Amino acid sequence: METLDTGTGIVSSGEYLTFTLGKEEYGIDILKVQEIRGYEAPTRIANAPPFIKGVINLRGVIVPIIDLRIKFNLGEPSYDQFTVVIILNIGKRVVGAVVDGVSDVIQLDNENMRAAPEFGSILDTRYILGLGTLDDRMIIVVDIESLMSSQEMALMDEAA
Amino acid sequence: MTIDMSQFYQVFFEETGEHLANMESQLLALDIDHPSNEELNAIFRAAHSIKGGSGTFGFTDMTEVTHILETLLDRLRKSELALRSEMVDAFLAAGDVLRAQLEHHQGGPEVDPERLAEICTRLSALAKDAPAEVPAAKPPVAAAPRRLHLECLLPGAAADSLEALLASLAELAGVTPRHMPDAEDPRLQLGLVTTQSDAALRDVFSFHVEPENVRLLDDVVEAEAYGFFEPLQSEQPAVADEAYGFFEPLPAAELPAPDEAGFGFFEGMPGAPVAVATIEGDGFGLFTDAPGSEHAQQSGAAKSASVPVVSSPGRRVSDDPAIERVSAGRRTTDKVVVGNSSETSSIRVSVEKVDQLINLVGELVITQAMIADAAGYLDPVEAEKLLSGIDLLARNTRDLQESVMSIRMLPMSMVFSRFPRVIRDLAGKLGKQVELKTFGEGTELDKGLIEKITDPLTHLIRNSLDHGIEIPEKRIAAGKSPKGTVTLKASHQGGNIVIEVMDDGAGLNRERLLAKARERGLNVHDGMSDAEVWLLIFAPGFSTADVVTDVSGRGVGMDVVKKNIEGLGGRVELESSLGNGTRTIIRLPLTLAILDGMSVGVDGETFIVPLTAIIESLQPRKEDIKSVAGDSQVVHIRGEYLPIIPLSDVFGGTPCHDLEKGIFVVVEAEAGKAALFVDELLGQHQVVIKSLEANYRKVPGTSGATIMGDGSVAMILDVTAVTRMGLANTNPRRLAA
Repeated sequence: METLDTGTGIVSSGEYLTFTLGKEEYGIDILKVQEIRGYEAPTRIANAPPFIKGVINLRGVIVPIIDLRIKFNLGEPSYDQFTVVIILNIGKRVVGAVVDGVSDVIQLDNENMRAAPEFGSILDTRYILGLGTLDDRMIIVVDIESLMSSQEMALMDEAA
Repeated sequence: MTIDMSQFYQVFFEETGEHLANMESQLLALDIDHPSNEELNAIFRAAHSIKGGSGTFGFTDMTEVTHILETLLDRLRKSELALRSEMVDAFLAAGDVLRAQLEHHQGGPEVDPERLAEICTRLSALAKDAPAEVPAAKPPVAAAPRRLHLECLLPGAAADSLEALLASLAELAGVTPRHMPDAEDPRLQLGLVTTQSDAALRDVFSFHVEPENVRLLDDVVEAEAYGFFEPLQSEQPAVADEAYGFFEPLPAAELPAPDEAGFGFFEGMPGAPVAVATIEGDGFGLFTDAPGSEHAQQSGAAKSASVPVVSSPGRRVSDDPAIERVSAGRRTTDKVVVGNSSETSSIRVSVEKVDQLINLVGELVITQAMIADAAGYLDPVEAEKLLSGIDLLARNTRDLQESVMSIRMLPMSMVFSRFPRVIRDLAGKLGKQVELKTFGEGTELDKGLIEKITDPLTHLIRNSLDHGIEIPEKRIAAGKSPKGTVTLKASHQGGNIVIEVMDDGAGLNRERLLAKARERGLNVHDGMSDAEVWLLIFAPGFSTADVVTDVSGRGVGMDVVKKNIEGLGGRVELESSLGNGTRTIIRLPLTLAILDGMSVGVDGETFIVPLTAIIESLQPRKEDIKSVAGDSQVVHIRGEYLPIIPLSDVFGGTPCHDLEKGIFVVVEAEAGKAALFVDELLGQHQVVIKSLEANYRKVPGTSGATIMGDGSVAMILDVTAVTRMGLANTNPRRLAA
């Protein structure tokens, strides 16, 4: 049996929030999630990459909103009353991620996780903690913290 | 019962800084020919407080300097010496040395020992001068010489100055030494024959010993008093200890207070020793038992009731159920101290706490705006009560916001007060006669702005003095008074504060500026308006001074002034008339946390343009819009051709627009004026500036974001950046389209 090597050496055996992007199912560490809320039209930011939808006012805090569907090129992004924003706590920052829908909270342990094979995808395998199996569903477990802090997300100043 | 003094260092540093500033302004305000006693006393008190504080904290270097300073000041206030202008110079220099020493204790560089020695000798030399002939001011002479017994405890340090002490005493009285201090008994006992008042005698000691350690007794009662006090000696340390305990809960800052109070009393009532003693007994009874009780008992003053109790805590307490009375007596003393400091009743709060409060109120303002916005859809008849409640909330929120903001507000006098010194020094150096006039010192400004405006203002004033005001001969030749005037004026104008620096000097010379600009290869022509020519002096490296002095002339400065002020969201304007003077006008927003802005609509988005940058807004006429090189467009407004910057281009909106349908907002940016093209003007708001960087990063062309009344986010434009981006951007974009 192959053991999981995440590169970071940190494997959270805890709970994951799963959400769908197009037909794929993703999971992120539940502890990084601050709240889940409906989508509201953000204020556009000039000259920002297309996946950054803009900023919203979250109880007085200005929070950038990222559409993961655009970032990962998954399906046609549509915005209606069912579109969901997951508000994440990344380090000291607050970031919102738009997804197609939130499914549930699942428990995944190491036995159900497989390391992701190398493949040329938009989502660099660096940011994939592993592929989890639950019944016959495959859940792509994402290291949301390093993904959001990465340079390609352009969420932080170069110097930061 | 030791206290870690270092925790009070910061308080000492702050207070001493204030005392120094206070002393300096008093010195500068001093009328040299007729100094009022009150002024001299105020200066003396400031010096004394510094001495007391530095002594408490063990900064002996500062104590030494203030001591010499005090000696001279004391002779002045007692009219033994006449004030001369070189003394004021020496005092100012001593103040500088003290400030340098203070900085050294705060981790700054060490004070040049030569400078220190120089100022000390200068002060001592002045202090040793022969007394001026002002016999009238001497304390009234008592009818007959009195015989007194004097006893004092000399601290180790003062033992060295014993000789000096005895010498100065000998000037006032016939001295018969009764007991010289030695290792066994550190007390000094003297017999005195004098016509001087007790207060005058105590004053001699005040430089060597704390006044509470000096006892003066009438020789007549000497034997009796001796018997009375002798048994107390062994209890002395205990008393001191208790007194210490009393002070422990108080911050060290309070320590000099009673001391100072004592001083005030002494000098307020010379020649009334009994009354002095009564009051002193009340204030100092805790520390030394003798003088207070003695005189108080004799005088039978009303307050004396508590004094005997306090005076003998060790002895009588045992057989007297007066323990409560002792503590009651202490409480009175406590009240005296508190009452004394309540004149300037204020608290020190860290700026962070205030800022947090301001942030919270900012949130409240936004929430209130959101509620008001949501309530706008309600039926005013049905929801009458709710709506009136919301109105009330709006008013209360506004009041709350104003009061919270006012915490951070400081009067402009904080800045202005340093300029008399700058001008005095500089005028002396340049051989010019300059008078400073200030108006509107009470105008309040945010603390952050106050700190940042000081340097630019200092620079402007130096400039006025160096380049503006002429030397007296030239001024007389030009038919002006030989004394130049520099005027500083602060006032509120709308949401802005306006600071003006005016001089009645030579004014700017248009021809010379143009010639110099050509020399430096700047793009100038003779048809430029005066305002444009004046703006040349803000160009980096620009100076018309023929000689580089250490005051100015290097051309570094005015550009920095402009940049600093623009960095604060302000603007600089110049007015000048040849031969009549120059006026620099600085406009600043009141605070950095809130901004007055015009909200404009661009492509369905809302942007905030800072009101300080806006000159005017207007609807363009078709014939005023011209194109340059077939591509770039300019608009002809009031005789000027301004580049058009469509905001939708800068912020990546749809590049096609009908210039006649929108509105031009004419803004003043670093690069000059420009016409921003927007779809519509939405209104004028006070907005709370929010950082975008907290969760995102800096967005080019914006200086932050804010939350509008409906809860949506709007970007605040950085006009200078937008103009630069617009001018660089439009052309390639157009070509591509």
